[in-house]
Amino acid sequence: MPLGNLASVSRFLPELAVTATILLLVAVHVVGKNRQSSASALLSLAGVGAALLLTALQPSMPAVSLFEGMVALDGFAVFFKALTALATIVVIFMSMDSAELSGKSQAEYYVFLLSVLLGMFLLSSATDLVMLYLSLELVSIPSYLLAGYLKGRKSSNEASMKYVVYGATASGVMIYGFSLLYGLTGTTQIAEIGRALATGKAALPLFLAAVMVAVGFGYKIAAVPFHMWSPDVYEGAPTPVTAFLSVGPKAAGFAVLVRFFYTVFASPDGAGGPWTLSSPVDWTLLFAVLSAATMTVGNLVAVNQKNVKRLLAYSSIAHAGYMLMGFVLLTPAGIQAILFYLVVYLFMNLGAFYVVILVANGTRSEDISDYAGLGSRAPFAAVSLAIFLFALTGIPPFSGFIGKVYLFAEVINRGVYWLAVVAALNSVVSLYYYARIVKVMFLEEPAEKAELAVPAFPRALLCLLAVPTLLLGVYWEPVIRVAANSVRLLAF
Amino acid sequence: MEPILFILFGAIAVAGSIMVVTRKHPMASALYLILTLFAVAALFVLRQAHFLAAIQVIVYAGAVVVLFIFVIMLINVPENKLPVERLTALRFLGVAAAGLLILEGAVLARKTTMPGGTAADSGSVQAVGRALFTDYLLAFEITSVLLLAAVIGAIALAKKKI
Repeated sequence: MPLGNLASVSRFLPELAVTATILLLVAVHVVGKNRQSSASALLSLAGVGAALLLTALQPSMPAVSLFEGMVALDGFAVFFKALTALATIVVIFMSMDSAELSGKSQAEYYVFLLSVLLGMFLLSSATDLVMLYLSLELVSIPSYLLAGYLKGRKSSNEASMKYVVYGATASGVMIYGFSLLYGLTGTTQIAEIGRALATGKAALPLFLAAVMVAVGFGYKIAAVPFHMWSPDVYEGAPTPVTAFLSVGPKAAGFAVLVRFFYTVFASPDGAGGPWTLSSPVDWTLLFAVLSAATMTVGNLVAVNQKNVKRLLAYSSIAHAGYMLMGFVLLTPAGIQAILFYLVVYLFMNLGAFYVVILVANGTRSEDISDYAGLGSRAPFAAVSLAIFLFALTGIPPFSGFIGKVYLFAEVINRGVYWLAVVAALNSVVSLYYYARIVKVMFLEEPAEKAELAVPAFPRALLCLLAVPTLLLGVYWEPVIRVAANSVRLLAF
Repeated sequence: MEPILFILFGAIAVAGSIMVVTRKHPMASALYLILTLFAVAALFVLRQAHFLAAIQVIVYAGAVVVLFIFVIMLINVPENKLPVERLTALRFLGVAAAGLLILEGAVLARKTTMPGGTAADSGSVQAVGRALFTDYLLAFEITSVLLLAAVIGAIALAKKKI
């Protein structure tokens, strides 16, 4: 039984904290005189920190439905709220250190960042098609603005423009799918849609509607063939924004993908196994092909990249492909593997982008060739980057390996061997281009020998990102337990 | 009576939107857009969605298209300097996609029975207001955050320097 509007407010505190911070930012910016100060950054840090704390304190058991069934408060939502809030905090620190944004990172920037965060909170907990669409737009629209935040730079404008066009198309297709679902079932509640469709009728229209909805979600997680926007957007956007987009909205996209398909297509009690509904195609095969295509395209194109940001963009496409492996069979174990991988991915990917920012602050360049000799010019940054890149590859002592083990175990246990083989081959390809950066850093002679100074504070933050990347590779048990507890989705 | 009106206004809406995308001058497109929006408003009335019909006329036909027309007049591109579109292949693809969509709609309509329509008064101002402030209150409030971000974004983009 969903809680009413007033009764829900006390369980909605993290979202309220973020909203209050957005309003405060606007007020402080309008009233305040010193517009270049870091006051906005600190204020948003405090707000997001408070939201993270409130999320951690939120009772997620038993799961409840809030606001007349608009959003759910369950372990799954709490997990993603904590994850996205953590990513936002790291990105705020990155934005404060970025030379690209210095002098420009004012209240507006943080308002957009926090609006996306609010959207991600709602996206991971939405249980109604109206709310789902609205929160997806709340993630997308400020993201367009963030991508185009550097107005003076042509590539930033191009990034924003491409993002808008692709985003609008994908969300248009998605909402058409929603309208078909509403027409088939007469309700906007995803749990009720699942129940209405469980009668097994209307297989073909349902298939079309689900494919259209998957287009919208696939665009958010940048899965092939809806990935075309991401390299240009990731390259053109300011680097902290790129880091944010590659972790935050991607995680929220996975949250909504899992919640929607799990609620609508898995049996309502969550025990009846995957993909209960009859349909003209094999859903497992469809998503397995999507997963294989995503990782293969991402990795193969990454091989030839000369720009680090672009390379990391393609690598993040590939990682979305790996994570989709946990989704193809729609089992709790697979979803647990996705959740764990997202935690690991947060640390290693944000870490890699952070080093890119620090290097670009010194060299004004993001070309791989300019990383030559970084091992002697800035040993600390170079070693950190090497750690993050090896973790992204998934080599044993690092956390990326454990994440991949769980994903591989899921497809192998369920007998989709060919997908495991494709993923293994892809990992080999990815080793080539990640290791190439490491080789350039440590074995090639730099054109310029001067030391690249990395101040103390960024060093500390790099440590905070590198330590979990290493630690989760040897002691991951607590995190996997949290992930296992978070696979409890609200069921009516 | 209702089917005849539906076909009439439906035809006006379709013809109007075809004109919107085929006219060379943006002003003509904008004017046809008003026609289309009015016809769609009439379709809403036929479905008893009176509130939606009024909003459609006031907000879209009234405010949004007027803004379009203002911008077109402010930019004021002479007729001979209008950009020429050369992407004919894309046009054919667009027509093909539209045909596919119509085909899909037809198949769906033939193959499935949609659940019965909603209550007769569900489109009245009262019913919409009640739904907006009870079941959909959260969505309604979140829209305000979205609009705030969009307004700030528009200002940030339009300002000379940030």
